[in-house]
Amino acid sequence: MTNSIPELETDSRCILIMGSNTSEGHPLIASRIVKAKERGARVIVIDPRDIQIARLADMYIPFRPGADVAVLNGLMNVIISEGLEDKEFIAARTEAYAEMKAVVEKYTPERVQEISGVPADMLREAARLYARNKPAAIVYAMGITQHTTGVDNVKSIANLAMLTGNLGIAGAGVNPLRGQNNVQGACDMGGLPNVYPGYQAVTSPDAQKKFQDAWGGTADTVVGLTVMEMVNGVGDGTLRALYVMGENPMVADPDLHHARHCLEKAEFLVVQDIFLTETAQLAHVVLPGGAFVEKDGTFTGTDRRVQRVRKVVNPPGNAMADWEITCRLAQRLGAGGFDFASPKEVMEEIARLTPSYGGISYERLEELGFLHWPCPAADHPGTPYLHKGKFSRGQGQFHAVEFKEPAESPDQDYPLTLTTGRLMFHFHTGSMTRRSEKLHQEVPEAYVEIHPDDAARISFKRGQRVRVHSRRGQIELDVRVTKRIKPGVVFIPFHFAEAAANVLTHAAIDPTAKIPEYKVCAVKMETIGVKEAKSQGPS
Amino acid sequence: MIAAIREAVAERLGSCDGVVALRRRNGGVAPHLFQKGDELAEMELSPRYPLMTVVSRLHKAFPAIRLGVVARGCDERAYVEMAKRNQIDPTRLEIIGFACTAEEAQACYCREPSPKHPVAGTPPAPGPPNPLVAKYDSLPLEERRSFWKKQFSKCIKCYGCRNICPECFCEACAMEDMAWVEPGLLAPPFPTFHLIRAMHMASRCVACRECEHTCPAYIPLTVLYDLMRRDIADLLGYIPGADIEAQQPLSLSLEQAPLKK
Amino acid sequence: MEYQNTLTTCIYCGCGCSMYVETIDGRITGVWPDKTNQISGGRLCIKGWNVTGFVGHPDRLKNPLLRKEGKLVEVTWDEALSQVAEKLSGIKRESGADSIGLMTSAKCTNEENYLMNKFARAVLGTNNIDHCARL
Ligand code: SF4
Ligand code: SF4
Ligand code: SF4
Repeated sequence: MTNSIPELETDSRCILIMGSNTSEGHPLIASRIVKAKERGARVIVIDPRDIQIARLADMYIPFRPGADVAVLNGLMNVIISEGLEDKEFIAARTEAYAEMKAVVEKYTPERVQEISGVPADMLREAARLYARNKPAAIVYAMGITQHTTGVDNVKSIANLAMLTGNLGIAGAGVNPLRGQNNVQGACDMGGLPNVYPGYQAVTSPDAQKKFQDAWGGTADTVVGLTVMEMVNGVGDGTLRALYVMGENPMVADPDLHHARHCLEKAEFLVVQDIFLTETAQLAHVVLPGGAFVEKDGTFTGTDRRVQRVRKVVNPPGNAMADWEITCRLAQRLGAGGFDFASPKEVMEEIARLTPSYGGISYERLEELGFLHWPCPAADHPGTPYLHKGKFSRGQGQFHAVEFKEPAESPDQDYPLTLTTGRLMFHFHTGSMTRRSEKLHQEVPEAYVEIHPDDAARISFKRGQRVRVHSRRGQIELDVRVTKRIKPGVVFIPFHFAEAAANVLTHAAIDPTAKIPEYKVCAVKMETIGVKEAKSQGPS
Repeated sequence: MIAAIREAVAERLGSCDGVVALRRRNGGVAPHLFQKGDELAEMELSPRYPLMTVVSRLHKAFPAIRLGVVARGCDERAYVEMAKRNQIDPTRLEIIGFACTAEEAQACYCREPSPKHPVAGTPPAPGPPNPLVAKYDSLPLEERRSFWKKQFSKCIKCYGCRNICPECFCEACAMEDMAWVEPGLLAPPFPTFHLIRAMHMASRCVACRECEHTCPAYIPLTVLYDLMRRDIADLLGYIPGADIEAQQPLSLSLEQAPLKK
Repeated sequence: MEYQNTLTTCIYCGCGCSMYVETIDGRITGVWPDKTNQISGGRLCIKGWNVTGFVGHPDRLKNPLLRKEGKLVEVTWDEALSQVAEKLSGIKRESGADSIGLMTSAKCTNEENYLMNKFARAVLGTNNIDHCARL
């Protein structure tokens, strides 16, 4: 996130929400947007589904899933043709404007209407609303990134913000909302195949030397494998061992049948988790970890805010906090540098080796409550918003991005577009929320949302269940008929192992970011009569 | 003021097993049970938390303990209604009351900004009535419905209004009853979800305004509850939280508590 | 008679709401929103209010498990860790560190992610570490 969350409420004059079901995915950020709206900020929602936040927006724009780049190019087309761009900002702070402009010129509102289904006049109005109300923030989430064109989508969003000079000022910016609570922290801490903590590239010999010296050993300068490549690797035997801490690829991965097939072949699978998840059931060794109330530590929120986690109770039985398990295992392997007495000491080492965390310590967090990185030194106040004055990489780079169709479009055999997403009441693969009584009772089972027209087309009657097929698999589930979704599009939340939406999704991935295309694939549907006994999730 | 309260707390720690109050903790402030030997310098008076709920939980967990509690006007009113419903044992509680400031009374639209016998602070003038109530009163009937419809369409079903309310303590909550409210919908069904709570607050709501402060959708919930309080006062002559001796009208028969008018 | 409130951060979405977890005699009895938090300011969503709902669930794993004759059976830490250490060092010796992969977790703390990254790179010697950020 280039800006901090409270700025949405205090500074933004316009908030453009695209591909984020904010009320359900990030409820307390949605809360800030509600407040901003009451203060007078204009809110635009662009989403295939008529989500809750759309109903309080000034403008709600439904569109065909996967047409994001076309819509964004269309907005920019209007801004440029009506002279609403920020010429000064473009001249002083950006590069490659002409190339981008040349592509965007082709995306007239009329052409975009054809591609995306957004009426041309609506697109014009939204473009004016966004461009004329500065500072304007763009908020997006997995609805933008989980496509084969995810990186293109993100580039287009950055284009739009730069075009209007909405970067480096309070209340503006490009604000991706991360899916899980500590995605930001996992990335910051080097939980990625291409970087050390603090985004120091593994390909850089300098970085390699730095960590070699600090740790007394490290990996080579070749980028490692991503999650999907690892799953494929254990499937084809090129990866002989896989160690999974606190993840459940057996529900989260796209094309689950393929994932199961691969993981079943693993020569040696270690899973460290708090429950016997679908993935842990396939493991050779399962290590019982600790829940968040059973350990000290820190999380980094979506706006780079580092906050404390504190131990409240002991782990059950012989379970152990995960940091302790890793230390013990490293020591078993004869490694030095893992004799930490507490996570506080780990943070001291992090601060020494990670420039952006250099000034973060438990003492300061105890006093201040939180710190935003970059926070390079012990007397640095932290950085609520990035890119002030200049970009971290110098001039802002425009990208010329053409619209591409999703990897799989509906056709005669599979006439519907499936899109997946989250619910308010559950989290990720459901291993925790489905075992929380108050959350489980709200939505105990998976369902598919369909438009009344599509329901009529398959002669759906109340109480029936449906079977949804894609080229990769099929699942059976309950139905909710609703006008909140466009005809021809169906929505399935992905939290439910026994009717996992990811059995259907496509493993096609974005070539650069390697994010699977969860948001669009082609499916068909048929009714299968009334269900007999309720299928039970974990209770 | 806080010095006088600390002194009173220190004194009560001689006769009680503990005193419930706020304490600075981890860079924030939270409810705490002060016991003999605890550092009273860490005690705080703000922000407010529903401390009577903490007293109730402790009374239930430890059936013999005697407690003190540092209380504002709203806490004492909450206590009155909780004691009547067996959530707090009045024979095991001593209230160390203090008066709110005039600014606080204004901000809370609080009509009784002090407990009956404060050990500190001078009771200020009552705050003004909630201005949104008058605005609402001036709306024609059909606009009133659309006012609530619009407000409640923002609800994200966090149940925070219920969770934080000192007067919400039923074991099985009708807001979670599938017979009344279809589960799993956002916003929750209008108007049942919210009206269930509003009905249950009749003769209970003590206007502490915790529910409104905790609502992530910024719904002006206490307009609804202020109206309910007004009706209960007009129709039944009952003011929740005012008098521990007064019987709750909704648990009496109609002859015992005849409707006024 | 012990009553405590401990401040912690929500494990669900990335909003970063904080809350006090209430315990009476070491048992979790409730959650209080943190009224001083800059994001949530005393507000939470339903997941935050129920953030400890799964902690005491009977399904929690309480002992390490090892697959013996096709079945996962409870073992001591000593046995489980020796097994993992032995296997990993064996595979590394035979096929190189890059034949091992690690998935770290967006649900674990920064410190735990840091240690996994250090374990992968400094102890095993591979950059094959990733997490489900993309999912
Ligand atoms: S104001 Fe709200 S929280 Fe306070 S007693 Fe009334 S209903 Fe409950
Ligand atoms: S606190 Fe507000 S958002 Fe939460 S359930 Fe109550 S009315 Fe709805
Ligand atoms: S309480 Fe809700 S909004 Fe806040 S961090 Fe937790 S899941 Fe996100």
